[in-house]
Amino acid sequence: MLASFGNDVFKAVLQGAPPGTVYALVALGFVLAYKTSGVFNLAFGAQAYVSAVAFFKTHTEWGWPTWLAVLVSVVLLAPLLGVVLDLLVFRHLRTAPPVASLVVAIGLTVALPSIADVLFRFKPKGGQIPEGIAPKGNSVFYDAFGTYSFNRNELVAMVVATAAVLGLVALFHFSMIGLQMRAVVESPRMVELNGIPSGRVSAAAWALSSFFAGLAGVLIAPRFPTLAPLEFFNIVVIAVAAAAIGSLISLPRAFFGGLGLGIAIALFTTFIPKWSKTMSWLRPVQDNITPAIPFVVLFVVLVFVPSVRRSRRAADPLAGVDPPPSSQARSTDDDPKRVLIRRVIGSGVALVATLVLLTRGDSAWLFLVTQAVVLGIVYLSITVMTGFGGHISLCQGAYAAIGAFTVFQLADRYDVSVLGGMFVGAAIAAVVGALLSLPLLRLNGIWIAIATLAFAYFFDAVMVKFSWVGGTKDSGAAGLKVPRPVLGPWDFANDKSFLGLAVVVLALVGAGVTVFGRSTTGRKLRAVRGSEVAAQSIGISSARTRVIVFAASAFVAALGGGMLAMLEERVDYAKNFSPFAALFWMVLVVTFGIRTPAAAIIGAASFSLFNKLVLQGTVFGWILRDPDRTLFFPVDVKWQMILFGLGTIQYSRHPEGVIEMSRTQAGERRAKRDARRASRTVTEAVA
Amino acid sequence: MQTSQNAPGQARSRTRKALAALALFGLLLGACGNSGSDSTPESAAPTPTQPEVTQPTATEPATVPAGTQPTDATTPVGTTPVETTPVETTPPGPDLGEFQPIEGVPGVTDDQISFAVMGTGPANPLGYCLLECYKGGVQAYFEYRNSIGGVHGRDVVIGRTEDDEFGNTQVKLLELIEDDATFGIFAAPLQYPGFADVGATDVPMFTTFPAAVDANGHDNIYIPVGTMCVLCPSPMAVWGASLGGATKVASLGFGISQASKDCANRYESEVNKWGPALGMEFVYRNDDLPFGFPNGLGPEVTAMKEAGVDYIMTCIDQNSALILEQELERQGVGDTVVALPQGYGDTEFITSNAALLEGDLLSVAFHPLEADPGTTMVPTMIEWLTKGGHQINDYAIQGWLGADLAVTGLLAAGPTFDQASMVAATNTLTDFTGGGLVPTVDWTKKHTAPTEDEANRICASFVKVQDGELVLAGDDPTKPFFCFDVPMDTWTAPTQTSFG
Repeated sequence: MLASFGNDVFKAVLQGAPPGTVYALVALGFVLAYKTSGVFNLAFGAQAYVSAVAFFKTHTEWGWPTWLAVLVSVVLLAPLLGVVLDLLVFRHLRTAPPVASLVVAIGLTVALPSIADVLFRFKPKGGQIPEGIAPKGNSVFYDAFGTYSFNRNELVAMVVATAAVLGLVALFHFSMIGLQMRAVVESPRMVELNGIPSGRVSAAAWALSSFFAGLAGVLIAPRFPTLAPLEFFNIVVIAVAAAAIGSLISLPRAFFGGLGLGIAIALFTTFIPKWSKTMSWLRPVQDNITPAIPFVVLFVVLVFVPSVRRSRRAADPLAGVDPPPSSQARSTDDDPKRVLIRRVIGSGVALVATLVLLTRGDSAWLFLVTQAVVLGIVYLSITVMTGFGGHISLCQGAYAAIGAFTVFQLADRYDVSVLGGMFVGAAIAAVVGALLSLPLLRLNGIWIAIATLAFAYFFDAVMVKFSWVGGTKDSGAAGLKVPRPVLGPWDFANDKSFLGLAVVVLALVGAGVTVFGRSTTGRKLRAVRGSEVAAQSIGISSARTRVIVFAASAFVAALGGGMLAMLEERVDYAKNFSPFAALFWMVLVVTFGIRTPAAAIIGAASFSLFNKLVLQGTVFGWILRDPDRTLFFPVDVKWQMILFGLGTIQYSRHPEGVIEMSRTQAGERRAKRDARRASRTVTEAVA
Repeated sequence: MQTSQNAPGQARSRTRKALAALALFGLLLGACGNSGSDSTPESAAPTPTQPEVTQPTATEPATVPAGTQPTDATTPVGTTPVETTPVETTPPGPDLGEFQPIEGVPGVTDDQISFAVMGTGPANPLGYCLLECYKGGVQAYFEYRNSIGGVHGRDVVIGRTEDDEFGNTQVKLLELIEDDATFGIFAAPLQYPGFADVGATDVPMFTTFPAAVDANGHDNIYIPVGTMCVLCPSPMAVWGASLGGATKVASLGFGISQASKDCANRYESEVNKWGPALGMEFVYRNDDLPFGFPNGLGPEVTAMKEAGVDYIMTCIDQNSALILEQELERQGVGDTVVALPQGYGDTEFITSNAALLEGDLLSVAFHPLEADPGTTMVPTMIEWLTKGGHQINDYAIQGWLGADLAVTGLLAAGPTFDQASMVAATNTLTDFTGGGLVPTVDWTKKHTAPTEDEANRICASFVKVQDGELVLAGDDPTKPFFCFDVPMDTWTAPTQTSFG
């Protein structure tokens, strides 16, 4: 009995080792990037994908020998990519807040794979297992213990991961360049004062971390049945837990964290099903906990490991020489005449656009505009959370999904009005948001982002599966259909009337968010955001404000989620609310400007309409009176992703956002013009 | 001091405001309802467009599928006899319809009838050929059809192709249903939002098997073999298992997808119900697998190995099935037969993974290309798909079938057709077989999934992987289909047949 148990444990440990090695490799990459650049590099998977594609093309398709393919894809291409990213993007973000580098990394997560696909003319193909470095890597097995065999690719990955952790530890502890890399992260200017070129060190750091990403990509790829970016991203998200075990700074802990995670999952999947045969109460655990292990581990680490709670971003002693972060541009102009003209023109354009839409727009345009309006509501939740509260939340999709699922469940099971369901869903989401904020009270910055990402994936892996959340009363066979609302005499089944309803809801929520921002609570939020300690010294409870902002943001997101379900007349979780889809929202809102509700609405409009207006060539067709738009359009979806990524590069230069940047620039131009005019007047007067 | 004096008043005021807000909210909620629900006045509820179904008359060749029961090209429309004319004795020409000028019908000119193809292109995250292959099938059928004279004196053409980029399906469908240059739609997306919008119009849409749930109840949306009951117990998978030599059976599904979970559970109940009669028992189910198997399948395969599983029914995607195969191989049980979820006709998938897939089984909904074609349109389809350089896989065949049904519907609608009359006429076809490619479909019934108790005939064929190729799993290549009459309480052997 005991021998059998021991044998099972040993077997599970061996079975968990190959995936554990993969998590360890990626976790090492995270830690390496964080130690050498201070960036929580969610784009690690995308960098790994680039090298994996290059290796696949050169080795599998073009028939290059393995050594040459590795040389090109890992030794040359990967470091080059790192240097380019440093020069173009991350060097400009050294003094930016964590949200800035995180947003840019998310943008690169989307853009880099598309760039690789375009450059190498690569198209993922189902069922085409990538080859590894070892010949016949997936089909030759070695069973050293007579219990469970490893294939050649797995053995190579294990050896490389072990060598990497030893080599990197040695690099940081015993070499000058390792010390310089860490020093540049903390204070590039101090490093330069000592005669060390911080730019070169930073480039070397990015080259190293990108090389490691490339190596990991080539080693991991054979585990996937298809070489596709999403496979890499999913692994990255799991590996975040392992990186968190190492507090993002300890390479050995990240390594063992990754390995341990793989083994823990294997142990759970070995024993829980066996035990649940006699202990039926374990059945729900078997059903729901196993896929959630990485995210539960991550959450537990974040909440209960003191070193994570205590960790703070290193403060550069010479940060004072940097220009202060840009303040919010003035939302009002001093000249009332100009304000009036702008408002009249704005209202006129909006009125004409509405009239054209209602009289000449087809149902596709109506759908897109309504979608923009509804997403505007969801995006306002990001303004509340990040703009007012200063926290990065990556689980807004989960809140919105709560709203959508509640609308569906109440209508499907109890025939409750969908509008009523929407408010109930918003209330539930607010409670969930408030509860989520409680264990995160002591966390800050990037850790809140990671914790909310963990919650989003937990919701995705566990909660959505429950029939009372993402299922139906009978089964999923009928789909999650949601009716349009009726309010008294008004039936919003018609697309135009639903657009009207959406506009009203957006206006109310927008006004509410604006009032919230200007209210006492909003001011308290700003105070806490500015200085938590100073705010506490004047009696403001940072804990209370954090609970409020989490709840308010979740409430708004769920309202939007409910409206989205009504618009589409179904709950499409995978398309609208999955964690990866929701990452787009954050990037868009932050890119346009996180501190103004207007930016959220413009971000939503871009999300919905940019594709149709610009990338599908509609505007081009109107201008050239060429309805067929035969020249460049429609732009390939890969280029759309690349443009999205380039948008975040623009953001890295102007973290205040496009809207505030334009306002600031317009203000500067106006000031110059006024100065010139004044100077001319004085000259004329003198003359 | 003043503050403290006013505080109760302010509190009362706040309470009153809160109560007033609650009352207003309550009133609003009271006024709320759902469009189309019972509480909504009938007149306010949107009524789905129900195309008027015209009964077939002796003057309309509505029940004659194109290509299967050809008539003399010179015979005036309406005089074609419904009875089958023996092909060997008097080979008549195909029914080409009759030209009459039509105005104001979207996509129809004097020269052509224009359709749109919409689907998920290279952005398909699962990496298999969907839009391109489906379009290839439609294109091949249209080229074949035009080569023999088109329909009603016009060519059938693909006038517009739209890639939904895996996210814009609803927008693309909304654009197409209002497009004046599109008569009908061929849709092969990976997700199905917007099907309800199409269902509320008269625009005919032909789509793929996985869209069965979303097509259900829409009279103008056509699945190649009609809408299916995805939850009804069926003996077909059990029969497939017996063809694969199963004695101990397992089923696997993803936890994230309710449909996948349902599927894995349904397999268990089906094997428990009919398996003993065929000498098999159900021994392992896992309906909670994480999508993509990031942690591999080591413990799961170990559990199946310990349970003696020799046949695995899968409710997972093709890529995930490959991970399963790798793990089976690693643990020395590579000879376990896996019922593959898809991949029929994907020669590259089969050949490049031949060793892993050896002995595995695939259920096929249409006449397998490996069977004796008999009098079916299989040779014609292969000829035209090959001629056009199109990949031959299950989606190409579904495209071909959709195009065949579209043309058959146009012929049934007569020379002065429009979208509504074409849909109505198609819905009178009672024995469409796509030239023997699919089991007989009764389109008067097949828009609504049958219930569990409803009498219904289900047919399928099976192929298996052998030396890197697909071969027919049955013993009679002239009769590749196995048919069951359901509901079936006790095991009854299937009828073996062909529809060609």
